[in-house]
Amino acid sequence: MAKVKNWHLKREMEYPYSEHRPKRQWAIVFDLNKCIACQTCTLACKTTWTSGKGQEYMLWNNVETKPYGSYPLAWDVRILEKLGHQEWHKNGEYNGKTIFEAAEPTEKVAHFAPQDEDWMYPNVGEDDCLGDVPHGDHINIPHDKWFFYLPRTCAHCTYPACLASCPRKAIYKRDEDGIVLIDQSRCKGYGECVRACPYKKSMYNPYTRVSEKCVGCYPAVEQGLQPMCVQNCIGKIRIMGFINPPWKAREDNPVDYLVHKKGLALPYYPQLGLEPNIYYIPPIHANRDYLHQMFGPNVDEAIENYKKIRQDPVAQGLFTLMGSSDRILYSFKVENEKATGFDEKGGEIVQVPVTEHMYVRAEFDEKIGAVRSNTP
Amino acid sequence: MVGLFTVAPLFAWGATLDSKWIKEDLSKPDLSAKYWSGIQEETVTLMAQPMVAPRPKETNTSSISVQSLHDGKWISFRLKWKDPEKNEAGRLGEFSDAVAMQFPIKSNENPPPIFMGAKDNPVHLFHWRAQYQRDQEKGKPEMRDLYPNMSVDMYPMDFKDTGHLKAMTDERKEVFSPGKIEGNPQSYRKFAVDEIFAEGFSTSSVSASHEAVGYGKWENGRWTVVISRPLNEGEGGSILQAGKNSFMGFAVWQGGKGEVGSRKSITMVWVPLSIAPAKGM
Repeated sequence: MAKVKNWHLKREMEYPYSEHRPKRQWAIVFDLNKCIACQTCTLACKTTWTSGKGQEYMLWNNVETKPYGSYPLAWDVRILEKLGHQEWHKNGEYNGKTIFEAAEPTEKVAHFAPQDEDWMYPNVGEDDCLGDVPHGDHINIPHDKWFFYLPRTCAHCTYPACLASCPRKAIYKRDEDGIVLIDQSRCKGYGECVRACPYKKSMYNPYTRVSEKCVGCYPAVEQGLQPMCVQNCIGKIRIMGFINPPWKAREDNPVDYLVHKKGLALPYYPQLGLEPNIYYIPPIHANRDYLHQMFGPNVDEAIENYKKIRQDPVAQGLFTLMGSSDRILYSFKVENEKATGFDEKGGEIVQVPVTEHMYVRAEFDEKIGAVRSNTP
Repeated sequence: MVGLFTVAPLFAWGATLDSKWIKEDLSKPDLSAKYWSGIQEETVTLMAQPMVAPRPKETNTSSISVQSLHDGKWISFRLKWKDPEKNEAGRLGEFSDAVAMQFPIKSNENPPPIFMGAKDNPVHLFHWRAQYQRDQEKGKPEMRDLYPNMSVDMYPMDFKDTGHLKAMTDERKEVFSPGKIEGNPQSYRKFAVDEIFAEGFSTSSVSASHEAVGYGKWENGRWTVVISRPLNEGEGGSILQAGKNSFMGFAVWQGGKGEVGSRKSITMVWVPLSIAPAKGM
């Protein structure tokens, strides 16, 4: 075991390989306040990558309703219970064990092995809220009943458990973008990665008899395009880019801005120790204890910051840039109430107004002598 | 780890394996041929692979019995071990029963470390899988064989030619089966025995050649498997010679106990193999 730096945990941790950060790291930020679980991302992914035999129930991208939704079944609680007590120190340091540190001597990581049946209910718990809704109940603000949608892809982790556990070294992390891939010619389908990934994003294909996983849409990324799940998000809740570690953060990088500069987006279940590279803007109305468990100790601050976005034209500008282009935004700028996204060489990709202009027309149209109506 | 090496010689790991010459054609694996009767069965001790995680918590197969014969061109091994259930793999989490034999490549006198060889000192492995044998006998299972009650709306690549929609070519259909497209032998196996080269843990790769043949049968809680290989596997492979000695290693996987990959029972020391001179050659 090597000692590696995990900035999510604010400490060093044990990992089977030494620290090696890629030249660039693929990352997605999701605004959970906007996700409506339309599953367009899921279908965009499915039609692109997993429409074949043996992939019938394989969803590299899925959206589950929290707290009850889970694919595979109860993946989150079943891995969390393996970790034991998970405590964060006041200074933000994680005092509990990661899955690497909690591993039994005969195993690479603490894990549970999902069974066939666990993958058969991708939409379990959909729209189920926490708590009973008795007859005559009505909405109170803040909501005492809650749920939220959690879209998930592979997190192309800095310290992938799938890669750590593969006895054949058939899994590799690309230096050019940090995307984690299973070598389809080398994998022998032992299923070690399916057991080891705590997020359960390695999946077994019983037809090809090897394991498969989200490829981060690397052919698109290589051409400067965002993945299909991001491009097709109708709610414009996602943005894909390249994240830097905090000590190399760039304020004009959209992902760095949301994660490091504003502290709006957080990794999920960072205590597992993988330094996952999908980041979530937490839902402001969900149960705070639950959010602490899922997103760690910075969740209160992230929610407070999110509530203040209206007073921050730069952050507002970036939010309007999300989903405004299929291309990867390497940097952005907000000036004169306009937000602009740029490519790697600084060329302009897209420009949007920070606030859509509102035009108010007179109620009566003098020209045709008629009352205006909003009815189309 | 040091403890293991110092303790190892205290066990009776198994006597020398004698491979007698016989005037038969051993290029076809025969489980119940008469020539096996009267051939000494040597018991070789196995233990749970102790070197790298993931590994078994306990030894599931504690010994394997081995008989050997050669005909001057082919050398045949009849292997028997206890396994309470037959497993041929298929669905997620189902693993195949399997056995492997290991030979040194560079030197039959000074073999590399028993644990799958070492860098620049490779080993030659012959890996028989119940799953591969089933493929060979019955064809590779379709999804419906694995999941008889499954229901699928459609596979988009499988639609028939209906006027303006052209049916997909077989090559295009494979687009969603990356393992097959990449030529992964795991994805379309037609031989019961894989020939594999390795230079230590995590380095094994399946050879394109597959001269070795094997056949196995599970009966009454016990597997009996015959694996035959040419004595001379040619350039780069293991080369055995009649009248000379070499060494062997063994590994057994019980699929029903979740054994696959590095979760296996293995020999901890090389077992000497003595190959009798061929008569009349």
